[in-house]
Amino acid sequence: MNKVLFFAHLREAVGKDYIEIDAAGKTVAQLKEELQKQYDLPRFESVMTAINEEFCQETDVIREGDEIAFIPPVSGG
Amino acid sequence: MFERYSRQILFAPIGEEGQKKIRSKHVLMIGAGALGSGNGEILVRAGVGRLTLVDRDYVEASNLQRQLLYTEADAAEKMPKAVAAERRLRAVNSDVDVRGIIGDATPDLMEELVGDVDLIIDATDNFETRMVMNDIAQKYNIPWVFGACVGSFGMSFPIIPGKTPCLNCLLKSLPLQGMTCDTAGIIAPAVQMVAVHQSAEALKILTENWDAVRTTFVSFDLWRNQYTSIKMSRAKDDGCLSCGPERTYPYLDRENQSKSTVLCGRDTVQIRPPRKQDIDLQSLGRQLRALHYEVKGNPYLLSVELEENRLVIFNDGRALVHGTKDVAQARAIYQRILG
Repeated sequence: MNKVLFFAHLREAVGKDYIEIDAAGKTVAQLKEELQKQYDLPRFESVMTAINEEFCQETDVIREGDEIAFIPPVSGG
Repeated sequence: MFERYSRQILFAPIGEEGQKKIRSKHVLMIGAGALGSGNGEILVRAGVGRLTLVDRDYVEASNLQRQLLYTEADAAEKMPKAVAAERRLRAVNSDVDVRGIIGDATPDLMEELVGDVDLIIDATDNFETRMVMNDIAQKYNIPWVFGACVGSFGMSFPIIPGKTPCLNCLLKSLPLQGMTCDTAGIIAPAVQMVAVHQSAEALKILTENWDAVRTTFVSFDLWRNQYTSIKMSRAKDDGCLSCGPERTYPYLDRENQSKSTVLCGRDTVQIRPPRKQDIDLQSLGRQLRALHYEVKGNPYLLSVELEENRLVIFNDGRALVHGTKDVAQARAIYQRILG
């Protein structure tokens, strides 16, 4: 299983701090696309992704047990 | 002479040497809102040599909850933030050469200002300006500290040319319709938390304590008690057009900047984003209504009543700002709502 954490407005859109799903074998881009459809999320473009607290690329493959975090850039200041 | 800085000098990593370094440095701060208030006050109290700040906006009542440099009198007089901030910061520390510039932080203005700048502080409220700042920092080899927030959520990352990934490596493109303080609200502690992260890195950079500079991207949610540090060792993009070997500094190119046009005789400015967007007008309308903005709309546009202006937003991101002929003010209003 994989824990997927959401921050800022993605958290509001999903309605939970995190979900647990089986994402092993998928790329980060595939997982983004799947979640976007499932939760009717705002665009994932520019959303930064970390696997096990390390910045990762769209093409990275998720392994069993990995923790994924989606951090959308916010613009206020 | 250093009496007022004695407690900071007592802090071993700074010491007298560090204090002299701080004193010899010039900081450019883009924006003088909430992040600018926090960072500006800390750096001026720390005794930085020069602080140049740029802001295009004026003080309004809705700023006072979190923008610590300003008072009710500033809001009543609609004082430009650059003027009110300069005045307040000079009163805080007359040793510091504080210069406030009323203006839009365009690539031209920034190129003009960065000459002898040692550090740039991001205190802006939109990604278009941040991407320009990022390109300027890479082009002139100046460290800068990214900071942003909304609601109870904030993030910060120090960007050192030649060492760390840059903002364009992280985002790949200009984020569309980011959340802004005017659409999702903001609590003061979230901004302060970002400002303290930024100014702590600023002190390390100004005193040249390079080994102490944070290498992780920090983000936190003060309401949900979350704090995350992300390792960035894999974030640098070798093909990045802002910091890679084939760099072109895309955000300094006029083609990639939003276009503003004053519409003759209509007291209106048109703003066109650098590329076509696909804005969900319905959900933006819902968000704004929830914040008690007066919003009217149809499938093609959304009309938002603001204090003295009306903002009409089209689905492709184009907007008309009615009630002004001032391009900088119109851009400020646009980016306040659309990020």
